[in-house]
Parts: sequence; C-alpha cells; structure tokens
Amino acid sequence: MQTPKKDNNFSKRKVELGAISEWVSDGESVLDLGCGRGILLEKLVREKKIYGVGVDSDFDKISRAIKRGLNVIHGDICEALSSFGDKSFDWIVCSRTLPELENPELVVKESLRVAHRVAVGFINHGFWINRLNYLFKGERVVNKVYPDPWWLSRPTNPISVGAFKDFCKSNDITINRRRFLGANWRTQIKFMPDLFSGYAIFELTQKNEK
Amino acid sequence: MNNSDYIDRDAEGEVGIVDYSDFSCSEPLDFALGGRLESFNIRYETYGTLNADKSNAILVCHALSGDHHCAGVYSISDRKQGWWNNIIGPNKPLDTNKYFVIGSNCIGGCLGSTGPGSINPATGKPYNMTFPIVTIKDMVAAQKRLIDYLGISRLKLVIGGSMGGMQALEWAVDYPDSAEKIIALATTAYQNAQAIAFNEVGRSAIMRDPLWNGGSYTHSSFPADGLSTARMMAHITYLSKVGLDAKFGRHKRNLQSGDPNSIFMPSFEIENYLHHQGESFVNRFDANTYLYFTKALDIFDLRGKNGTLEETFASVKAPVLTVGFTSDWLFPPSQNREIVNALIRIKKRAAYAEVESQLGHDSFLTESPRLYELIRNFLDANA
Repeated sequence: MQTPKKDNNFSKRKVELGAISEWVSDGESVLDLGCGRGILLEKLVREKKIYGVGVDSDFDKISRAIKRGLNVIHGDICEALSSFGDKSFDWIVCSRTLPELENPELVVKESLRVAHRVAVGFINHGFWINRLNYLFKGERVVNKVYPDPWWLSRPTNPISVGAFKDFCKSNDITINRRRFLGANWRTQIKFMPDLFSGYAIFELTQKNEK
Repeated sequence: MNNSDYIDRDAEGEVGIVDYSDFSCSEPLDFALGGRLESFNIRYETYGTLNADKSNAILVCHALSGDHHCAGVYSISDRKQGWWNNIIGPNKPLDTNKYFVIGSNCIGGCLGSTGPGSINPATGKPYNMTFPIVTIKDMVAAQKRLIDYLGISRLKLVIGGSMGGMQALEWAVDYPDSAEKIIALATTAYQNAQAIAFNEVGRSAIMRDPLWNGGSYTHSSFPADGLSTARMMAHITYLSKVGLDAKFGRHKRNLQSGDPNSIFMPSFEIENYLHHQGESFVNRFDANTYLYFTKALDIFDLRGKNGTLEETFASVKAPVLTVGFTSDWLFPPSQNREIVNALIRIKKRAAYAEVESQLGHDSFLTESPRLYELIRNFLDANA
C-alpha cells in the first residue's frame, strides 16, 4: 500500500514555473486559473511586477494565497472567466489545471477570449515511460508527479502532446511557442516531443491574434 | 518564580471589563441626501492600545442591530459580551495585543450616538422623523470625524459585516488614503430586491402600529408590537433553513389544554425563539432608528451614474477582501464576489473567499475558524 506523499515534486514545480514566467513580460497582467497557493503569481509579482489574479476552488489554497498578498477569486474557473471582458488580461496561465477540469474545451476557448495569450502546461501522458506503463501494467504511472494511486487521486484527463496539438488544430487555435521538458523537467526536448517530453507548455493565441 | 511564566502567550484572552466613551462633535454634519446636524454625539469603545505613531488602529463597523459594544463586558456580573467578542481580544483575529480596535455606534442609532430619538437642541424635542435621512455615506462621514478626533490619520483596517461591510466599502471609496485595508463580510454593493422587500415588510409592521404615531411616541407608549414583529421576520432572514432545522426542528413545548385557542399559542421552539427575539429587541432598539437604518441599507448602491461599480471603485486604493458565506441567502456569496470582480476589472487589489457555513447571513457573527484564518492572513499580508 502506497502512502500519499506531498510536495515531493517541488523542484519540478519550480522549473515549470520558471519556463512559464520567462514568457511573461514586465508589468503585464496575468490571470492564473487554478492558482493554488499562488507560488507562480508571487514569483511573477516579485520578478516582473505584473498585475496578477488567481482563481482556485480550494479554500485552504486561496487562504494561503491571500496571506501572500495576492488578488484571488475563490470559486469556479468558468464563472470567474465569465466576469471578464474580451482581452482584459495579457496572459492566462493554466499550469497543470486543464487535466482536472470538467470542461477543458470551454475553459481554453474562454481563456482565449479573455486574454491575449494563454499559457497551458500539462504532464505529457504520451511520454514513452507512461506508454510502456499502460502497455505492460495496464495502468497509469505512480511516480513523483502522480504520487498517489488512482483511488487517492483527483480525477485527471490524461493529455498527450499529440492530442493537444490536434485539439488546437481542429479549433483554429494558434500555437505560438512551445516548450518540451524531458523526464527531469529540465532538459529541453526537441526530438519527437510527444514521445520524449515529460512536461509540455504551449503558448496559444486566437488565429488572428499576433 | 514569576507568575507570568505560567501564562501561555499565544492563548486567546478576553478584553475584560470595558466602558464606552462619547465623542461630542460640535462641527456641523451635512447629510448626503440633505439635512444637517449642528452638533452630534458618537458613542464608541476601544480595545487594546494605540501605538505611538497611531498606526495600529482598526475600525469595526456594526450591522443593522449592532452597536459600539463589540467586545468585553461592562461589569463582572455582566453576562452579555460584545457582539464580536469571538473576533476581538488578545491573540484573537483582531488581536488587541497588536491592534487598537474601535467600535462606534452609527449616526442615526439609538444606543448612544445621535439619532431620531435624541433631543433636537433647536426645539428641545426629539428629532423623530425630522432627523435627516441617513445613508451609509453619512455613517462613514461621522466615523471619520471620530477617527480624526482620536488623532488617527490612517486606519490599519476597516472591517464589518452586512451593513458594516457596506460601511467598510464606503470607507474604501470615500477615504482612500485613510484606510490601509478593507474587509467586508456577508455584504453587497447594492441591496437586492428580495432584501429590500423584507425590509419593507418590517417597516410596514412598525408604521402600521397605531403607537408609532408618525414617529412621535414616548418611552412608555411606543410601537413595540410593530418593532418586535419586524425583528421576528428579519431574524428568519439572518438564518438558514438547514440552520433552523438543526437548532429547532419541530421541537414543541406541551400545550396547555382547556383553552380552545391554545393551539394558536406559540408551541414550536422556533416560535418561542422568535417571540423572545422580538421582545428582547424592543427593550434595546428604537423603532425610528430601525426605519432609518433599513432605509439606509435599501438605498445603498455603490454603482455610479453609468450603472457600474467600476466608476465608483476608481478611487479605491486599499486592498479589499470580501467574504461570502455559502448559506447566506440575504447577502448571497455572488454579491460579495461581484465586488471583487469589479475591483479586479479595473486592476485594483482585491480578494474574494467563500466560507462554508450552515448558519445563514449571521454566519459572520459566529464561531468560524476559516473566517478567523482569512482575517489573520489578510492582515498579515504586505499591504
């Protein structure tokens, strides 16, 4: 029996945050969907002097983000998005949020309405080890990223790089920039990212947006 | 050995025995909707110690039936603590070891501050219905006089729930440089139609009571029936269905047999509870103040000429935290969130959090570790 582990992938989280925050310019406005305790926003406020807003449905996380002095809205992501006008933020960030949503398509489309650019980061379930795990064990991996077995985990849609690109293509969503990180989330992967990247980050815009 | 060795320095304490003070302002107060008081009194209490540079003051704004007595007791035998005793005190969320906490009775009130029941010095008679129409803006303007009098140029925090939350928001709008942070609980930027409807029924109960007499009544003959009925009904709106069922269910007291009308005597516990609430209310609250304050709630609307909150919030400088309570159907969570949404749309500093609670609108007055945590975290954050 595995016992749940907490925060053992914190250094990975830092790497992931570093990659997203590189794309954000000084003084921009950022809406972080699924902001958690506000680690990314705090970093962006400190390093880039952004105007940041976080949304999360978890009270304890919102409370911790408030302690960080952040702007936050406790509640549903779609409800929060619906209260903002078109292009009212420079960025929307969905860092590891998408797989846990009930309506990821709506959230991506609404995000493209509300922000000029949308940064989406997710675990690549097409990563070769994940594929082998399904092939030989017939189940999702249990590792540092997914420390808990399925019965202790929140519902997750497994997304792969390939499937995400297909989604963007069929919805006329432009992928401006992409970053693929290896299994260690450090090394950048250029070759066959669908197979060799453990984590993927995309910058999305609406088709006519530059 | 020193006695203090036994004291747990983090344990919550009580502010203990307190007393109120009166601030008599001789500078006229002009009311937002017309009318003026040449002079007025504001009754207030303070807890904790004002520091040397007067930078640790917190103003607590009370709700419709609240007052300046927020914490502590008036004597050793006094069993009724101030209405927010659970929030204010040593090591409590509004920590009187750190902060100087001020509670004041709103202008128009009946518990020490000048209101409809006060004597108009010009006539020697009570103002009654000649008292100027009171708005939330006027309440805050009078509080600002008190804060100035106390020599405080900038409050650390203005906090309140319900009508007190409206005052906290008004502070953010009207005196952006005088409050460092704002917390508004279970409140709204404008009353919804349902809330106005309930207030109107309450006012009707008072004004249809023959003893109301156009607002002219005496201490011995006043509209007690109307006021207690208004309070009974209003009290239901402060609670929730789940909360009422949990507390009272269908519990009954035994009926006295014999009298054929006894079936219509209050027998359900909830009936007895409401009658008790109504009766105890008339002993401490004035019917005209009830009319004035409920009207102040109803006409409160922070939206500007174009109907948006954004235009009004343009002046706000302080970070604002609003908190909604899930079972509050009088000032529902959505109305609290709407305030923060509007502030964020114009790139202000704001946070909205929702506290799960089954106790309805009155949740903000009850034991709530989550609310305590939010207040502490928001106060601790860098401004």
